[in-house]
Amino acid sequence: MSDPVISLRGLSKRFGPVWANREVDLDLFPGRVHALLGENGAGKSTLMSILAGRYGADKGTLMMHGQEVTFSSPAKALDHGIGMVYQRFMLIESMSVADNLALTVGKKYGRRGVDYEIRQTAEQYGLAVDPEKRIFELSMGERQRVEIIKLLMLDAEVLIFDEPTSVLTPPEVDALFVIIDRLRGEGKTIVLITHKLEEVLKLADDISIMRKGRLIISEPIDARQMSRQQLARLMVGRDVVLRVDKKEVALGETVLALDGFSGDSPSGGPSFNEVTFEIRKGEIFSIIGVAGNGQTGLVSAIAGLSRAGAGTITFDGTSYTAREWAMASAAEIAYVPEDRYQSGSIGSMSIAENFGLTRLQAYRSGLAGLLLDREKMAADGRRAIGEHNIKVESSEASAGSLSGGNLQKVILARELTRKAKLFIAEQPTQGLDISATEDIWQALLECREKAGVLLVTGDLKEVLSLSDRIGVIFNGRILEIIDAHDSDRVDRVGLLMAGVRS
Amino acid sequence: MIRVAKRKQPLRYQGAVATFSAVAIALVVGCVIFAALGVNPLTAYTAMGKGVLSSVDAFSEVLVKATPLIFTGLAVATAATMMLWNIGAEGQLVWGGIFAAGTALFLFPGLDGWLLIPLVLAASALGGVVWSLIPALLRAKLRVNEILTTLLLNYVAIIYMEHLFYGPWRDPAGYGFPGTAQIPEAAQLVRFAGTRISIGFPLALLCAVFLYYLLKKSIWGYQVQVIGKEQRAAHYAGFNVTGKILTVMALSGAFAGLAGMTEVCGIHYRLQTGLAVGYGYDGIIVAWLAGLNPLAVPFAAILLGALFVGGEQLQSVLGLPSSISLILEGALLFGLFAGQTLARYTLTFSSRSEVPS
Repeated sequence: MSDPVISLRGLSKRFGPVWANREVDLDLFPGRVHALLGENGAGKSTLMSILAGRYGADKGTLMMHGQEVTFSSPAKALDHGIGMVYQRFMLIESMSVADNLALTVGKKYGRRGVDYEIRQTAEQYGLAVDPEKRIFELSMGERQRVEIIKLLMLDAEVLIFDEPTSVLTPPEVDALFVIIDRLRGEGKTIVLITHKLEEVLKLADDISIMRKGRLIISEPIDARQMSRQQLARLMVGRDVVLRVDKKEVALGETVLALDGFSGDSPSGGPSFNEVTFEIRKGEIFSIIGVAGNGQTGLVSAIAGLSRAGAGTITFDGTSYTAREWAMASAAEIAYVPEDRYQSGSIGSMSIAENFGLTRLQAYRSGLAGLLLDREKMAADGRRAIGEHNIKVESSEASAGSLSGGNLQKVILARELTRKAKLFIAEQPTQGLDISATEDIWQALLECREKAGVLLVTGDLKEVLSLSDRIGVIFNGRILEIIDAHDSDRVDRVGLLMAGVRS
Repeated sequence: MIRVAKRKQPLRYQGAVATFSAVAIALVVGCVIFAALGVNPLTAYTAMGKGVLSSVDAFSEVLVKATPLIFTGLAVATAATMMLWNIGAEGQLVWGGIFAAGTALFLFPGLDGWLLIPLVLAASALGGVVWSLIPALLRAKLRVNEILTTLLLNYVAIIYMEHLFYGPWRDPAGYGFPGTAQIPEAAQLVRFAGTRISIGFPLALLCAVFLYYLLKKSIWGYQVQVIGKEQRAAHYAGFNVTGKILTVMALSGAFAGLAGMTEVCGIHYRLQTGLAVGYGYDGIIVAWLAGLNPLAVPFAAILLGALFVGGEQLQSVLGLPSSISLILEGALLFGLFAGQTLARYTLTFSSRSEVPS
């Protein structure tokens, strides 16, 4: 193998108290595709953003052809031949392809020269795109090609692709792979940030896997000798199951049953298809999956915040069509949303006031119920602080002043006081420290004595610690529902998350 | 390296910081202007101060100006609590005036005061509501930006009012002057002895207190505040945002309509030019100067009223253009936004505080 183009040594980057990257050593070689794998939040994008000049590293060195370099901006990185194709394209939609490219490479070639260069570059690398078309007329795949052409016209040696297939249709994905293959043939260095195993197996020469900011495989390994199973295991990790105090609870009536539930995510994200399961009082039913496999849309539809497209939902003995459910969603469901900062709470309001968010009916008073019972709200806030050991002086403190864990406890306490038959918890311990995590787990376990609990998470450890039954979601479908006591099958959850069925 | 970063926690006294810097910046800008005009800024400010505080008479004019400003300030603040921009208080004020004058002149000209005044009050509020519901419906149902619609409807309202008092509603005994006939005495608001302050002023104060408690103590007010602070949380909580847009804009329009009534029934006693002199726009400054706190709105309105009265003094005492007060008003607004922005950011002196995107 030739000398590395890029060598990172001991690279570390911190955001506040969190290390996004810690002591990362990495070598990238010319003419090879290097896949960078890891779950969401593992630190892949941060690492590559440092390489592409978007962030400065806090520690460590970056060497290019053996010379130490630092990039103060993406433009500086580009001058050295390092460019990134972001998930969100950096193009001006109302302008033509040629005009867009002229913005960045016009100085080099002159406006006239740009048209000629586009055609040359496009031909050399097989990147078919019409320079006269305006960006908004192009498909996502074509836009991506424009970005690639942009980097090539700037003589980029190292091309970093951040989840390049996430916005593409399957035929466009195949076309992209042909392009990447060609780029490799021309001696370029390619980095592929992804969490899709098929792509890695199809394209990559080298693989690095990140977990929690660290490179867990610090030397590139030859992709061709690895099976999907091995990769999946390395990516998800074999986490130690924390022993939680899990009492046996007798199963009660069926609280929620979905049948053929299908729909789109409200924000145009991945859809969910033909989801069928039921949850009974006394159990924690978990849906686990890698982020972006349809769980967001599914939860939103179950909570009645968006309308599913098809299927039926039975709640507390009454059946609804997808449409009826969205209308009837005043039904009492407690819900701890994934976004605890912008959805689950209001930072500028007090803890007491945050109790009103979902419990407003309980605080109606006076004048035909038009007035707000602030006393009762404050009392609930105080009780929550005491019962859940929330570290704050008073219920009048603003929710925004709380740490993530304490804020999550406030939201959890609020939802618990609703005494709903169904309790939905979405990524309830994401980003929380161990003690807050344990408190929240304990609360969820107690909650199942009175309700059915739907836990939606990407955290395998959480699922294995809490669940009674586990549904693995992949590509919008529940691949399998596994009994948590069936230890043979539980071992396969990690593989199923990666879409490996057999 | 000096770096400007967003504060994680808003500054505690953000509103006070903003208001204070607004006044400070306006004073400094004033100094520059006065100096440029060859007048000692101290002399000028003294003249303004004297003009406002020298006599009961002078100060009463401040309150006269403050009365409509409180109403329009409340109108803007009501909408802004939900992050709606009602730039249309001017047009709603005009419609309040039209409804008030119409009720007094044509619908119930013969009624006694104790019956007519409440009717006129209700009518003017209704006028404002009707006009504010047009942009409200467009926003709620079709997501049309309310800034544009409220603003543009102002011109429609003013032109229609002019059509009325130049045309069908013109006083037949008015020697051709544009304007309606005088409204009956029963519809004229009682004034405080020897001044032009009408009962519109205490009514405005009452409205401020009412709005304060409505926002703080009612379920509706709570929901409006949640929607204003965080749309996503409101969606999660299942609040009816569309309905709130309508009710908030209606209340906002009602306040602006009442401003028109106090002008027509408290000052001019008729519909005429001089009703639409910009109180609706000034209300924007009042509302933000008050930090959207209804209880602070009267103070902001009085401050702005004093600025106007003081500006007139500059003209009569020092021979300066009275439009200087408009420049100072503009400086207040800029100072306010500068102060709010400052309060939201912090300066740090290292490169370690980058925020992940």
